[in-house]
Amino acid sequence: MTSLILSPSEQDFITRGVEKGFRADGRGSLDRREVTLRTNMISQANGSARCRIGHLGLGTDVLVGIKAEVNTWSPGEPESSGSIVCNVECSPSAAQEFEGRGAEDLNVELTQTLDRMFNGPQSGIDMSKLCIIPKQAYWVLHVDALVLDVKGGIVDALVWATRAALLSTKLPRVVVESVADEDGNLQCEFDVVDDAEDQVAIEGVENLPLSVTFNQIGKCFVIDASEQEEAVTQASLTVAVSPQLEICAAQKGGFLRGFPPSLLSEIMQAARRVARDEFAKFKELYVAAASYQAGDEPSTGSTFLGAF
Amino acid sequence: MSGAVQDRRRINGPARSVEPIYTATPLDTSLAKGRSDGRGLDHMRPIYAKAGPIASTAQTTGSASGSAFYEQGSIRISCAVYGPRSGRKTNARRAHFECDFQYAPFACNSRTHTQTDEHEISLFLSNTVGPAIRLDSYPKSSIDAYVTVIESDGKMATLAAAINCISLALADAGIEMYDTVAACSMGLRGSQWVVDCTQAEEAECSMLVAYMPSVDEVTGVLQNGKTSLEMHEQAVQACTNVCVRVYAVICRALQASLE
Repeated sequence: MTSLILSPSEQDFITRGVEKGFRADGRGSLDRREVTLRTNMISQANGSARCRIGHLGLGTDVLVGIKAEVNTWSPGEPESSGSIVCNVECSPSAAQEFEGRGAEDLNVELTQTLDRMFNGPQSGIDMSKLCIIPKQAYWVLHVDALVLDVKGGIVDALVWATRAALLSTKLPRVVVESVADEDGNLQCEFDVVDDAEDQVAIEGVENLPLSVTFNQIGKCFVIDASEQEEAVTQASLTVAVSPQLEICAAQKGGFLRGFPPSLLSEIMQAARRVARDEFAKFKELYVAAASYQAGDEPSTGSTFLGAF
Repeated sequence: MSGAVQDRRRINGPARSVEPIYTATPLDTSLAKGRSDGRGLDHMRPIYAKAGPIASTAQTTGSASGSAFYEQGSIRISCAVYGPRSGRKTNARRAHFECDFQYAPFACNSRTHTQTDEHEISLFLSNTVGPAIRLDSYPKSSIDAYVTVIESDGKMATLAAAINCISLALADAGIEMYDTVAACSMGLRGSQWVVDCTQAEEAECSMLVAYMPSVDEVTGVLQNGKTSLEMHEQAVQACTNVCVRVYAVICRALQASLE
């Protein structure tokens, strides 16, 4: 992540504070910063969302756009399922070291993390419903995430934004017909309905997971670490939890130390508790975001920035 | 073969080639008759581990500081460790440890270019084996581990084998460590966790745990797929127990290399 240099006394202050239950900004160890969510701001994309964790100017900001494309099936691919392709890019506006190829490593890591959570049946989406005609055509959902600002807790922001974007995605309706060709065989053809009103949501998106990242500082762990706390983190564990409170993915990061198995089990229990609250909060924010764009503000260029 | 310039002196092969499509034989995925190789549900494949260069007569002068060859069933991995040496990314307080993970082109089922996968696995390996090394003992230097998968059989199992191989190579290189890291993988078949799944047995949900037994620390957890919290905890517990057995094998291989 961004290399924040902290003096030994600052590091000590944060570590000891966390061990006593105090965080630099007054939060509890299981409290998340305020989250701002907006959906459907990109008209060219099938679905989009922007999520900021932290307040304006000092938060992690992620913009996710979903584009759906129809792909032709080629031998070797699964015969009756669609696919989700994730791609994360860190914009140089987030940090100076992201310019040029500086963010390459981080992009690959974040892309694979998103891929582990969302690409496949563990995401809760019914992949077979994304197939249009078996062995012929299927939907590919391109999840493109753009990281605009990094102030700690990047994975969680990515997952929140991706979940909101997928929830708001509307796919054009497809009409499949069987046509008899010259040999009398039945060929399937499909037609994408080009009507902006006639669109369907993706099936199973309510089952998408949310992630919680636990950072170990000293002997205790915190969630949603700020930049300073991340600089002091020795090890972290990202856990993705589904609305049914199942663990969808778990990944350890940080190369300085490991967790004792007892702490690991404590973290997993906390993950389940925290996830329950997070889903409630997400639902609240998502509903607010959905009703926001129905508002009476004139849509100008500055609305995109100003509303956030 | 370039399409533009054609070699007219020889009989050219096809300009484009594709993989053969095998007709899929129905796989018996139930465990009712036990596993295909007759192992128990909590048995790992037999392990052969050797510290030292692959060619037994080779001297280690001028080449890697430490190396290891690790076999687990039909998984074959070799690892070479270079370091501590001067490196590009130097930190004044500790060594910079980096793993480079690479599949040989013929290692997997299909000859696809899995570069993004390799990069992420390299990062994961650095994070998993890193906690074991006393990085503070080697400030301003760089320790690199280069892992080559010669043959792969089951993605999570290959990852676990790679971790074991790196630990062995690091110890062979004489790098100061807190403990060797032992790893094992499990797959969820129905409601049962099965240890060390091969490619054919691999399921939707799999788990990998890397553990340091002497220090009692889990240095790496990786879960693919969905499962309940109770099953997850059960798996971590079971993996930790198997890791202790793998640890014994690695230690014995190290002792053998000293004789």
